[in-house]
Amino acid sequence: MTEALKKEMETFEAQKAELINRSKGKYALIKDDKVVGIFDSQIDAIQQGYERFGNVPFLVKLIVEVEPPLNFTSNLLGV
Amino acid sequence: MPSFTVQSPNLQETGPIVEVRLAVGSKIEQVLQKSGQKIPQPVQVHAMIDTGATGTVVREDIIKQLNINPIGITYIHTPSSTNVQCYEYLMRLMFPNTVLVEAVVIAAPLQGQHVQCLIGRDILRHGVLVYTGYMNTFTLSF
Repeated sequence: MTEALKKEMETFEAQKAELINRSKGKYALIKDDKVVGIFDSQIDAIQQGYERFGNVPFLVKLIVEVEPPLNFTSNLLGV
Repeated sequence: MPSFTVQSPNLQETGPIVEVRLAVGSKIEQVLQKSGQKIPQPVQVHAMIDTGATGTVVREDIIKQLNINPIGITYIHTPSSTNVQCYEYLMRLMFPNTVLVEAVVIAAPLQGQHVQCLIGRDILRHGVLVYTGYMNTFTLSF
């Protein structure tokens, strides 16, 4: 994995416990080391991210203790 | 109800493959327009409808062609790996008959050259998929 969103992931992990306490099940919009906002839906958070920052990397993350992984049965995936 | 039907010479052999044009999400388009930047042209790909995929996947090089940036990170399990980190991107998928779907897709390598996109259950959850094996056709409606 490359470096994009590394800082944002560190910010999320650092503030995860607090975010879970106050906004579990919602979506956090994170840029650099700041949690910019909390949103009810993923698309609302993404739209706000584009409006505020433009076409640059930013992180939208579901606030849960353990994120459920996505499953793929196809062997077409090369990972 | 917007829908499209694909006829294949041998649906069992090829699987449900449809030509899809992949474009930047509508919000990205607005942002680029506002700032006077060029909007990347949509990229045409072969996409397979994959009921075994939780989410929609786009091959990494296609994402690069569209010049978009990640808006999330998620974890995937495949037959050969677990908890692989992948980037997420907002994208618009243009199916035949002008059926448009906006989705958060995952970028990942896809083996072989014949399929550049997997249409997962995140998109199928909004629609009706009819696979008519004996007629070598399938229809997706939203």
